Amino acid sequence: MIDTKNLRAQIEKIDTLPTIPSVLKKLLSVIEDPKVSLNDIGSFISNDPVLTSRVIKVVNSPIYGFPGRISSVNQALILLGLNVVKGMLLGVSVFEAMQKTMAGLWEHSIGCAVTARIIATKKGIGDVEEVSVAGILHDIGKVALGLKFQEEYKALIKMSVDKGKLLMDSERELFFVTHADTGAWIGNRWNFPKNLLEIIEYHHKPQLSKNFAIQTAIIHIADILVRAKGFGFAGDYLIPTINPIAWQTLNLKDDEIKDILMEMEDSLTESSSFSLDDD
Amino acid sequence: MMIKNKTIAIITNNSVTKNILNQKLDSLYNALYFSKVHFALDYIYNSLPDLIILDTIEHDSISLSIVKDIKKDPIFAQIPIIYIVPLDYVLTQDDFAIFDDYIRYDYLEDEILPLTTLCLNRAERVVETNPLSRLPGNITIAKQIQNRLDRQEVFAVAYTDLDFFKPYNDKYGFSRGDEVLKMLGRLILNTVRQWQPQDSFVGHIGGDDFVFICSVDKVEGLAQEIIQTFRKIVPTFYDSEDRFKGYIDSIDREGVRKKFPIMGLSIGIATNQHRSFTHYGEIAEVASEMKKYAKVSGGDCYKIDKRKG
Repeated sequence: MIDTKNLRAQIEKIDTLPTIPSVLKKLLSVIEDPKVSLNDIGSFISNDPVLTSRVIKVVNSPIYGFPGRISSVNQALILLGLNVVKGMLLGVSVFEAMQKTMAGLWEHSIGCAVTARIIATKKGIGDVEEVSVAGILHDIGKVALGLKFQEEYKALIKMSVDKGKLLMDSERELFFVTHADTGAWIGNRWNFPKNLLEIIEYHHKPQLSKNFAIQTAIIHIADILVRAKGFGFAGDYLIPTINPIAWQTLNLKDDEIKDILMEMEDSLTESSSFSLDDD
Repeated sequence: MMIKNKTIAIITNNSVTKNILNQKLDSLYNALYFSKVHFALDYIYNSLPDLIILDTIEHDSISLSIVKDIKKDPIFAQIPIIYIVPLDYVLTQDDFAIFDDYIRYDYLEDEILPLTTLCLNRAERVVETNPLSRLPGNITIAKQIQNRLDRQEVFAVAYTDLDFFKPYNDKYGFSRGDEVLKMLGRLILNTVRQWQPQDSFVGHIGGDDFVFICSVDKVEGLAQEIIQTFRKIVPTFYDSEDRFKGYIDSIDREGVRKKFPIMGLSIGIATNQHRSFTHYGEIAEVASEMKKYAKVSGGDCYKIDKRKG
């Protein structure tokens, strides 16, 4: 058992998270291209939870003077500028251990972002990009735990798979808290905007989201739909039940669900061609 | 001949020091020599030199307290002061409060010129930067425009102004208002650099007034993009209930409670493509006139001057 206070202190000490090796390879070719535009860099960053967390962290740092305001990657890039963004990307490091697990988590996160975007568009929710950022970041707490407790976390994932448990429940047994808490801690430490913090913290307990109930419900359901589709690997092979309050909040009609599942099919096939496996 | 546009007040009654400085600085800078601090005061307070160099020969408590007084007035506190000291001199706490840099006699001949140049450049960067946005201020803006006019380049100048900024400030307070200005400064700077990395310029006049300079063919697209991006970002600077409503309740200039929409951006553009200007004030005035026109047209748009002659 790890004492929560100590755990929190360790998580909050994290300054940057590592990405996965295949992303780093592409990253270098992006940065070294002299003709690269902010738009190219933007779509590249939006497909990586760690790069997204880094950009959102930097743009919300007090240095720029508007902490906690920006939760969109494209807006962050224009406010930071090409030079800052390139410099920031140069400092990215890579996960040495658990590459396979992490590659699966990356796929799961991309899938969740894509699905969240589809649902938000369908429901006509104002800021589709913000919801998509929340989707890519929702499991950032798993990356933090994986970084700080590599061996323990690897064992935890194996145990969850072997015993047919949810990773979240195994986390609670070992740490007393889950990746939703560690994600919110680190986001809070990095001055993430309130909407992102609330969605990250409550994506498994959407009924607790007070100010951003709709967005939280979208991520909650997108997370589950992506698992149900068998896309990526979130750390276990179970499909959690959908929270009835989140279901009511979104009020999806049968034909809407059908449409969403069909669009997911197309978009996820497309994004899996953007392979994350390291050759 | 080079134009000497920087003035240095040098206070020394040591002929060796004076000779060295004379040789090293006089060809590049306007150097004025005074044998005592109080003789220099009249000049300093009337002409605001860019730099003061003080010789330790004047290291008596009266002279030092005069120099200290110069630093107490905010207008003169920005003038950097270089202190010339002997090899064995140890700087005191008082010295740290008064002086910006120092040099020992023994290095005077080799080092005074680069030291002076660095000191002057540093001071210019600090003084001419808006503390909020860190963008260059009015002196640099004027210089940037005037230099282009003098070189007879064809270019565009855009003046930007926020719509409904005052009610935002009144409702949320100045520090929230400052957040918006800092965001706007970054937005304009990076959008301009993205469209035109070379020979463009962004400055901050003060308050919610910013300026950018770019080529005539890019200015309209650039203005349009800045307005659109601002429109997308600014709602997150409102509390969520106001953002949802799409307006805020605040007080207008007459003290009447009213509903004010979410902030937008008005941009006025002037170019010397079809008419000629000789002084920067003229082109600035046209841009400012266009900005007012954009504002009375409802704001959240740009207007460009297309008049001839």
